[in-house]
Amino acid sequence: MTLLVGAFTIGLILALLALGVLVSFRIFGLPDITADGSITLGAAVTATLCATGVNPVFATAAGMVSGALAGALTGVLHTKFKINALLAGILVMTALYSVNLRVMGRSNIPLMQHTTLGTWGEDAGYSLLGDRGLMVFGWRVGAGEIALLVGSFVVAVLVAVALFAFFRTHLGTAMRATGDNPQMIRALGANVETHIILGLALSNGLIALGGSLLAQYQGFADAQMGIGMIVWGLASVIIGEALTGGRSLGLTLVGAIMGSVLFRLLVAVALRWGLNPNDLKLITALFVFVALILPGLLKKIRRPAQLTTVPSA
Amino acid sequence: MLTLTGLRKTFNPGTVNEVRALQGVDLTIEDGSFVIVLGMNGSGKSTLLNAVAGTFIVDSGRIDLDGHDVTRWPEHRRARLIGRVFQNPFSGTAPNMSIAENFALAARRGRPRGLGFALSRDLMGPLRDRVALLKMGLEDRLDNAIGSLSGGQRQALTLLMATWLKPALLLLDEHTAALDPKSADQVITLSEEVVARDKLTTLMVTHSMQQAVSLGDRLIMMDRGKVLHDFRGPAKKRLRAEDLIDLFDEIRRRELLDESAAAMLQSLYV
Ligand SMILES: Nc1ncnc2c1ncn2[C@@H]1O[C@H](COP(=O)(O)OP(=O)(O)O)[C@@H](O)[C@H]1O
Ligand SMILES: [Mg+2]
Repeated sequence: MTLLVGAFTIGLILALLALGVLVSFRIFGLPDITADGSITLGAAVTATLCATGVNPVFATAAGMVSGALAGALTGVLHTKFKINALLAGILVMTALYSVNLRVMGRSNIPLMQHTTLGTWGEDAGYSLLGDRGLMVFGWRVGAGEIALLVGSFVVAVLVAVALFAFFRTHLGTAMRATGDNPQMIRALGANVETHIILGLALSNGLIALGGSLLAQYQGFADAQMGIGMIVWGLASVIIGEALTGGRSLGLTLVGAIMGSVLFRLLVAVALRWGLNPNDLKLITALFVFVALILPGLLKKIRRPAQLTTVPSA
Repeated sequence: MLTLTGLRKTFNPGTVNEVRALQGVDLTIEDGSFVIVLGMNGSGKSTLLNAVAGTFIVDSGRIDLDGHDVTRWPEHRRARLIGRVFQNPFSGTAPNMSIAENFALAARRGRPRGLGFALSRDLMGPLRDRVALLKMGLEDRLDNAIGSLSGGQRQALTLLMATWLKPALLLLDEHTAALDPKSADQVITLSEEVVARDKLTTLMVTHSMQQAVSLGDRLIMMDRGKVLHDFRGPAKKRLRAEDLIDLFDEIRRRELLDESAAAMLQSLYV
């Protein structure tokens, strides 16, 4: 049970990663892989600040803002210097690896001894529920774990609602149009370059917030923690689209959260069944590969079938 | 008022693909004038409209629009003054967004876009009324993705979007060329209505002789990046389709002549 609650919580925290990937990949159609660096950057900045006793709320905000700046930098490289989006992301991601080590001063910062949003959440849980925790389906779950689960859920929902509202404002609508038809929105007076920079800042700000919360949840930040995260986020988005059909903006956002949680649960179960953790990234990459080519394959398989049904109809 | 002075634009200069698309265009268009632009393929019609819209910055010359020297303005800044409908119905709308959202974007053409709710009541009421006037049944489908509509419907909506805020200049570049004849007629009728109602200053490129004689109060014919003929007032009214065909023939004959002269010179001297 603890395993499942933990997977659920991490799924909700990494829903921020999925939402960030959704913004760059799906709304802007840009393959931005700054994510691997910015999620670590969020964790590194927050952990470093928490370790020096800074207020965790401020430390979290700082982590998010630094991620947004990293995303904006990728956007500037792409739009102002005309570097291919993928390459711009790789450049910033690579640079961030050094930056993160500089920020942390070492490759790992433990947070067990420090006040974080995680310890606040646990304290709140114990004061509300007491030491015995809650019974869930006949299993005892600790008050701290419950509090962090609920807290992560609230954050994920708040962020999704804020995104939903933002993408329905004048600015947000124009940013969606930038991904849909740049020629059209330029002819309607929008500065496409500015929109792309803003969009990548938003995306990586969300991803860094996810990294910041993840570090505070698991109690450490590590320079390696971002490796492969972009693929995990993409996997969540793809699962989410399969679950909801991805028809409308709201459904897509909800789908990203559901996809992230389901993905984490699947990972937890697979590990429990004895999957070697070292194989996890290979399997995730294979999964995304299959998910990407599946729609095309299905079409090919279905088309001959349709041809045979038409004459008989 | 639009004033073009000595506009020049060369694509791929200094390469084998060099094209002198605009070779000194001088043109003044008064407010409220509806100008038809004719010319053979490649004569520079689209390039002229793109130069005005700011798709690229001209090599030399000057563009004054509505009292502003816009020669160096980027495209998105000029959009404040210019409404456009492109030839390709896919170019003017965001396909995955709803009809209403597309109009919400158009209702802010060239204006700051803040954090106000895009689909406000102020927009939806007038939008439903205006779209209902198209008699395409689209007023009940404002939430549908605009990409699900036909090319004719999309061009009609793009035209309404381009003119939702009255532009100082409306640019129509063969905006019915990709449509079937019936849709093309609908969109042309709508263009006439909109331009007449709002007294829009308009530049319309077409290859239809019939549209060229029946629409507009002025007609210019382009050839090799220059304005070759300019008919206005009574002279424009008197033009018949046959006159235009004669003018095209004349251009073609001269081109043939140029080619044979070039061939002759080449055989003599090379
Ligand atoms: N972006 C471009 N790059 C290179 N050549 C171009 C470009 N746009 C137009 N041209 C060339 O400029 C000439 C004029 O084109 P255009 O203005 O599109 O003609 P039309 O009168 O048919 O609209 C053509 O030879 C065309 O190939
Ligand atoms: Mg053209």
